[in-house]
Amino acid sequence: MVTAGAARPRPRRRRAAFIAGPHVLLVPAAIALAAVSVYPLAYGIVASLRQYRYGLDMGFAGADNYLNVLQDATFLTALGTTAKYVVLCVLIETLLGLGLALLVNRQLVGTGLWRIGIILPMTVAPVVVGVMWRLIYASDIGIADPVLGLLGVHGVHVLGGESSAFLGVVLLDVWEWTPLMFLILLAGLQTIPQEPLEAAVMDGASALRVFFDHVLPMLRPVLFVAIVLRTIDALGTFDQVYVLTRGGPGVSTQLFSIYAYNTAFLFTQEGRAMAMVVLLLAAVLVLAGIAIRLVRLGPGTR
Amino acid sequence: MAHKEEDVKSESILSRQLSRRSVLKAGLAGAAGLSVAPFLDACSTFSSSSSSGSTNKIVIGTFQDNAMVPFRDVFVKRFQSETGIKVQYNETNYDAWYQNSKNDGLHKTGAYDIYVMDDNWVPEFAAGKVIQSLDKLGFKVNPDILANGLNQGYWPPKTGAKMKAFANAQPELYAIVIIDDVEILYYNKQYFDGAPKTWDDIAQAAQSKSKPPSLYGWSARGVKGNPIVQTYLPLLNSYGGNFVNQDWSPGFAGPEGVAALERLFSFIPYMPSGSAEFDTDQEVQVLLQGQCMALTEYTGLTHQVDDPAASKVSGQINMAATPSQEKSGPAIGTFICGIASGAPNPQGAKKFLEWFTSSPVQIDFAKTNGSAAVTGSALTDKTISSQYRWLPAIADAVNNSVAKPHTPDEPKFEDILGTRLNEALVQALSKKSGYRSIASQKLTQAANEITAYLKQQGGYF
Amino acid sequence: MKRRSRRALIYLALVAAQVFALFPFWWMITTSLKHQVEIFGGLEFLPQAPTLDNFAALFDRYNFGPFLANSLLVVAFSVAGSLLLGTPAAYALTKLPTESWLQRQALIVVLLVRMLPAILLVIPFYLVLANYGLLNTRLGLILVYTGLNTGFVIWLMQSFLAEIPRDIEEAALVDGDSRLSALRRIVLPLAAPGLAATAIFSVINIYNDFLIALTMTSTPDAQTIPVGVSTLIGKIQIQWGPMAAAGVVGALPIIVFALIVQRHFVRGLTLGAVK
Repeated sequence: MVTAGAARPRPRRRRAAFIAGPHVLLVPAAIALAAVSVYPLAYGIVASLRQYRYGLDMGFAGADNYLNVLQDATFLTALGTTAKYVVLCVLIETLLGLGLALLVNRQLVGTGLWRIGIILPMTVAPVVVGVMWRLIYASDIGIADPVLGLLGVHGVHVLGGESSAFLGVVLLDVWEWTPLMFLILLAGLQTIPQEPLEAAVMDGASALRVFFDHVLPMLRPVLFVAIVLRTIDALGTFDQVYVLTRGGPGVSTQLFSIYAYNTAFLFTQEGRAMAMVVLLLAAVLVLAGIAIRLVRLGPGTR
Repeated sequence: MAHKEEDVKSESILSRQLSRRSVLKAGLAGAAGLSVAPFLDACSTFSSSSSSGSTNKIVIGTFQDNAMVPFRDVFVKRFQSETGIKVQYNETNYDAWYQNSKNDGLHKTGAYDIYVMDDNWVPEFAAGKVIQSLDKLGFKVNPDILANGLNQGYWPPKTGAKMKAFANAQPELYAIVIIDDVEILYYNKQYFDGAPKTWDDIAQAAQSKSKPPSLYGWSARGVKGNPIVQTYLPLLNSYGGNFVNQDWSPGFAGPEGVAALERLFSFIPYMPSGSAEFDTDQEVQVLLQGQCMALTEYTGLTHQVDDPAASKVSGQINMAATPSQEKSGPAIGTFICGIASGAPNPQGAKKFLEWFTSSPVQIDFAKTNGSAAVTGSALTDKTISSQYRWLPAIADAVNNSVAKPHTPDEPKFEDILGTRLNEALVQALSKKSGYRSIASQKLTQAANEITAYLKQQGGYF
Repeated sequence: MKRRSRRALIYLALVAAQVFALFPFWWMITTSLKHQVEIFGGLEFLPQAPTLDNFAALFDRYNFGPFLANSLLVVAFSVAGSLLLGTPAAYALTKLPTESWLQRQALIVVLLVRMLPAILLVIPFYLVLANYGLLNTRLGLILVYTGLNTGFVIWLMQSFLAEIPRDIEEAALVDGDSRLSALRRIVLPLAAPGLAATAIFSVINIYNDFLIALTMTSTPDAQTIPVGVSTLIGKIQIQWGPMAAAGVVGALPIIVFALIVQRHFVRGLTLGAVK
């Protein structure tokens, strides 16, 4: 780059380099990003318009894949399950995370240690998390059934019933990702200036009033960021469920991702699977659009 | 990788042509190329470490299974020392291996020469050219191999329903059976006077002698998908139902199929309550712990029943044909080998498979832990079966066995039926009544879903 | 008095949260140290006769040697590659006029790529890699991870770089340095802690990935640790002991790394949106 401009007169070269410099540095990264996003997605959209059979490309299929997918009751069920899963997980995680953050946001003995213990679950690979909980839920060697027995619930096997398996998967998600909510919200709480709160308390406001009138409004931007990030991640949940239930029993934990994966890689219907993915992509783009609007980031604007 | 470099190059040429003030743009492209190229170069050392292509080596890929242990530990080694051909043996779990082998073959990655497969993969792998025709390779078939086992390797199938596109094609051998795996009945002889012949015999014994949870009358694997289908098939077949009929209509939603599922549910009081999430390991654990009277399973279990390290009841478990209603109808699920269409060493692979399926080697195979050999001479040899009591039962079961539908869409069949069966079992386990309506409702649902899927796919009706 | 009991309640709640968070780790670790017989023998919170057999089995029978080697290699190259690609871009973004059209669009695009769930990308990745013969190679994994992680690096690094006062760098430029040498001589050393944190987060992200590795690889020649863990949960067999041991192997290095970057966690998770 520098040598390319060598023939130019000195002052212009200096200016060109000054203006061009930052832009040039963007290019390699831009190419890499396009190669892993625009290119495969375009490829995938084309694939969604073709028919695959036995892993072979059988030619153009028009909108067939989309029509088939929209008529596929199992797919629609999977979408419903995913929606239920996401809403439930994000709701519980937000409430628990907020509660924990409020608890920890004060002078405590050993603050750092409490934090470490709480955040460990989310650092571990989701596959490993699936393994951990499988060891807990397994009806023959696990600990969940005996514990339920102690609580007076007998004869229930967590992964053996439809609603219990679904709740079991949700519990796993809550275990793994409440820490994320906790950390983000704690960071948000710590940026809230204390004086107005203390003033409100002096005025005799109850703790609840202070929370709803002062804390929550100031926390709102951070809360939104956390919720949107978590929602998008939860939509793509795959690893833990793959390890834990493979979508069973029945279709009770068959999330969108599991069904799309099976369609592409077990039933070798890549075209149909891509049609599902394109439909979900639209949903994610909408959510991501909201996220970006809310996040409104950039150097100096945070 | 190659395409990326090309993009970079073409972009740099373009920018030179298009722009007179090219300094900037050429600089852009150049920088991009410069920063990406060394990195790609550094990486290329790690690519394609897998495809060696040496004629002195074959690579076998398989799923883990107890039945494969003698094959892996004894015969692979023996072939190496007899021929000097090195054999690399990779094993992984069943689901992963199904996907991996298919991907490897479809894209001719060349990572493997031989795929050890489940026999219901054959249609898909053959139709998709994942594996190559053994006939075309000049494979010499040992005539001693039992027909029901051998037939699993043909595409299009020699018998049963055929897809329209393949109705007139000549059946070709695409895969060769290496283990005649088939379902048999395992029963603890302490609780039975002689081998139980019918489901009624087992039900009676379970009713009078079982004491759950210390002693179960029956054990089954109920996980959705393939496992519960394996539990259901011997029942369905014995009641005279079909997985699919000759015209591709599902044959399990009628009275025979419903009665068969109802029969399974009638064992619920005598079965472990966690059965809906049991796979093979958990299912057989109760039998091996001496806490179960009987179950149907594939032959891999024979390697465990007399092993004191695995079994508390070694010597007490006997084997027989799966129980009858109208007839005995065990499912056959042979281990079958195909040669990858991208195999680096197809001749070596062929040599190995011809060697392993030859009569003398099969006799030795049967002698090793009583493995489920594929030849008649090995399975019916009197001296071998006096030592390994299950071999006659296996030969008998292979001859009575019922094959699964031969279609590339079979995995989808199993997924649909296996999902609804699992739902039905979960419901039955929790309600403990209304079995007939649960069975009928879920089986009808599965049948409708399969029919709808086949119509969408086309080529069936 | 009331204040006291409230504090006690708070600590009680925290202890309960800790127990809930840590118990699954404990259960996995103890299971990994038990013999098969003991695993099936009923509930034991401590292994009666601790054994390392399960760990030995991983390396003897289940290919964990190659899995680990693949993971290390793939992670090392992908992290290095994405830092190499992403850091200059992040630097460039901080040098663009704030709120310029390009800066905003670039960040949005990068954020979008980062937010795409893996399931949306694996099917096309699979088809594309198959086209170029890159399935089941470590190179294929490295290329995919490098590209995907570049977006993460850009976001996180620009958040760190933006904290470096502009004056220091301007001074270097006035002294006659080019942008690149200013980046190398002045900015990077100042950003080193941020760079280290970004690298470690990248290690965690890539090491933990499962779905991409699962679909792109088929043999121990290229499979990584998380895929290895999943191979122990077969249709035919579930090996509880080795499975627990594999979980421990999969979790340990990451926990160590996570403790190192603990301080930056919030920033890493929100791509710098919240610090």
